[in-house]
Amino acid sequence: MTTGTAATSTLLSAVNQALDDALAANPDVVVFGEDVADSEEGGVLGATKGLSSRHGSHRVRSTPISEQAIIGAAIGASLVGIRPVAEIMLMNFTTVAMDMIVNHAAKLRFMSGGKTHVPITIRMMTGAGLGTGGQHADFLEAWFVHTAGLKVVIPSNPSDAYGLLLSCIDDEDPCLFIENMPLYWTPGPAPVRGQRIPIGKARIARPGKDVTLISYSRQVFDALAVADKLSKEGIEAEVIDLRTISPLDDATLLESVARTRRAVVIHEATRQCGVGAEIASRIHENLHRELRAPVQRLGSAFCPVPFSKPLETAFVPGAQQIEAAVRRTLS
Amino acid sequence: MNQARSLPDAPVLLEIYRRATLIKQNDDRFRAVIQSGKLVMPYYSPRGQEIIPAATSVHLSDDDYICTIYRGVHDMLAKGVTPRALWAELAGRVTGSCKGKGGPMHITDPARGVMVTTGIVGSSMPIANGLALAAQLRGEKRVTIAYFGDGASNIGAFHEALNLASLWKLPVVFICQNNRFAEHTRYESGTSIGRIADRAAAYSMPGEHVDGNDPDAMWSAAGQAIARARAGDGPTLIEAMTFRFHGHIFGDADGYMSKEEKASAIARDPVVLLRRRLIERGMATDAALAELERGIELEIDAALQFALDSPYPDLAELRRDVYATEIQP
Amino acid sequence: MSTQILFPKIGFAMEEGTLAEWHVHDGAEVVAGQPLYVLESEKSAQDIESPASGTVRISVAAGTQCKVGDVLGEIV
Repeated sequence: MTTGTAATSTLLSAVNQALDDALAANPDVVVFGEDVADSEEGGVLGATKGLSSRHGSHRVRSTPISEQAIIGAAIGASLVGIRPVAEIMLMNFTTVAMDMIVNHAAKLRFMSGGKTHVPITIRMMTGAGLGTGGQHADFLEAWFVHTAGLKVVIPSNPSDAYGLLLSCIDDEDPCLFIENMPLYWTPGPAPVRGQRIPIGKARIARPGKDVTLISYSRQVFDALAVADKLSKEGIEAEVIDLRTISPLDDATLLESVARTRRAVVIHEATRQCGVGAEIASRIHENLHRELRAPVQRLGSAFCPVPFSKPLETAFVPGAQQIEAAVRRTLS
Repeated sequence: MNQARSLPDAPVLLEIYRRATLIKQNDDRFRAVIQSGKLVMPYYSPRGQEIIPAATSVHLSDDDYICTIYRGVHDMLAKGVTPRALWAELAGRVTGSCKGKGGPMHITDPARGVMVTTGIVGSSMPIANGLALAAQLRGEKRVTIAYFGDGASNIGAFHEALNLASLWKLPVVFICQNNRFAEHTRYESGTSIGRIADRAAAYSMPGEHVDGNDPDAMWSAAGQAIARARAGDGPTLIEAMTFRFHGHIFGDADGYMSKEEKASAIARDPVVLLRRRLIERGMATDAALAELERGIELEIDAALQFALDSPYPDLAELRRDVYATEIQP
Repeated sequence: MSTQILFPKIGFAMEEGTLAEWHVHDGAEVVAGQPLYVLESEKSAQDIESPASGTVRISVAAGTQCKVGDVLGEIV
């Protein structure tokens, strides 16, 4: 999606830039979470570095390790017009704030009959590959996609991360913003300052006509690599980067699969009741007669994220599995 | 805080009585109507706990916020939610405070500062912090009250919230309505400390243990804590001792408490005692109070009729207020 | 017996970094625990100690971007 000069950035600096721009543009934006202020090094990986120095430690605050208190404070402040961006550090730590996220952030608009709403953004990072083992790398997005009232955004590259984070902060509903740690330093298209990317709109990362590879976050890169390889055999795979997984961009998905008549869904979360199951089901419900093969689903092994390097590498679906799945749809 | 330590004067005490009576009479009617079968809902009666929010809320205006819990109709009425909006909501009607979509456990009325009512024990406190943070960030003088029960002080959220409120000096008052039972579990069987107020020391904030059924003591403690929060001096934890007359949920067999304990609490009905005190102190006549009570009965009659005459929400409401934009069918 | 000098993972999410500077020249005699080179990552720059005693054989030049596990040289 780059145009003109091939300026590059990283996911980490794009997140930092989006927060910086949002804080500068709107005095109601505040950022808080564990270690986010510069006195605590601006985040464990530096995502918020410089923000408290530029925008003040009253607006960019480090918190105690108290996930319920963090999300609760974000919810309460948002009810009266503050635009909090709360950081939960790692996606696994949302488990200790589930009451606040699922029972409150997601439901207060409905339960109040629209009298209040919760315009918060909850940032978190995750992803296997860094040897962090079973409690620091899960993809739990299906839980949140399953919950009415939440929006779930999961960018794969700097440009999308920047534009989507600004859109989440603008949005009137609670948004979960999932950052993939192993992608933090991967170079990618630089954001255009101030440019929003709409929530709920997928991106066709590579056009094709023979099969649609549907993915998000890190697996988009694996899908693109497989598509390039297959192209040498004359198989043209279309690759869709969903970017938002709630709400799903049905229009883009179904339009693509209606053309290619074959689909493979790939994500790092485990397959069982994963987002891929929902997507496969929607495709079957809408395009049953057009499909040339059942939709293939790939996810990580059905086990906790393992530590040992060979296990961790094999845990995540890779290019080989994607290629094999594509070939199953073609046979 | 000399003003707050003094006793409430006649107009204030009368206003506390008006609010307490409003709560008592509405609650009496809710239970009667539920028993009649006309309204069907789980109901957590606050009868016996009226004085706590009545004596607190006279220090507050519509600009101040409260977060309360499923046993909370007393807190809502004291803060100014109208019986019409409340009855219609409890009847599940579209004219209710939340279009009938929240129900008795989720009353919300931002115009009166009733910002969140939660059905989850312990969850009022972290959100109250956020409301207080907003006021602090904007330099407003608003105060937020977090109401909760004794059982909630054993939940992690209580401890996280008090720590953060103290650390950030938030303008919030934590009011624990200690009715001595966490659902069916006696206080001593579930709480490791004799007084919840003593837990404040762990978070470097004042902890006040008061008789929540005594309007003088409750008014004074709440006034001091609210003034402290408004002045920017940070949070206070108040443990207000009280007793619930109708168990955890209306219809409870109360098998977990002794009959004598309950009878003795009801014999010291705080609303009846306040009425007596007003007359003894020469602040009101029996006739004037009877007139006030009749007025409330008429208001309840009208609210009940309004609720029953109101339509149920359109089924399209299932798709509304889930997100800012209506979900397409 | 020689010991490989391997680029280490230091910190939570480090996958790569820069071998910023060698403290010793190729062929120098070192003792285990002596500062050997400077590793720069996203988070910090720090001295990395020699894993063994002996003669340093450098195979990666200062200023090179390295991945965790890369062989930087050996101690013979």
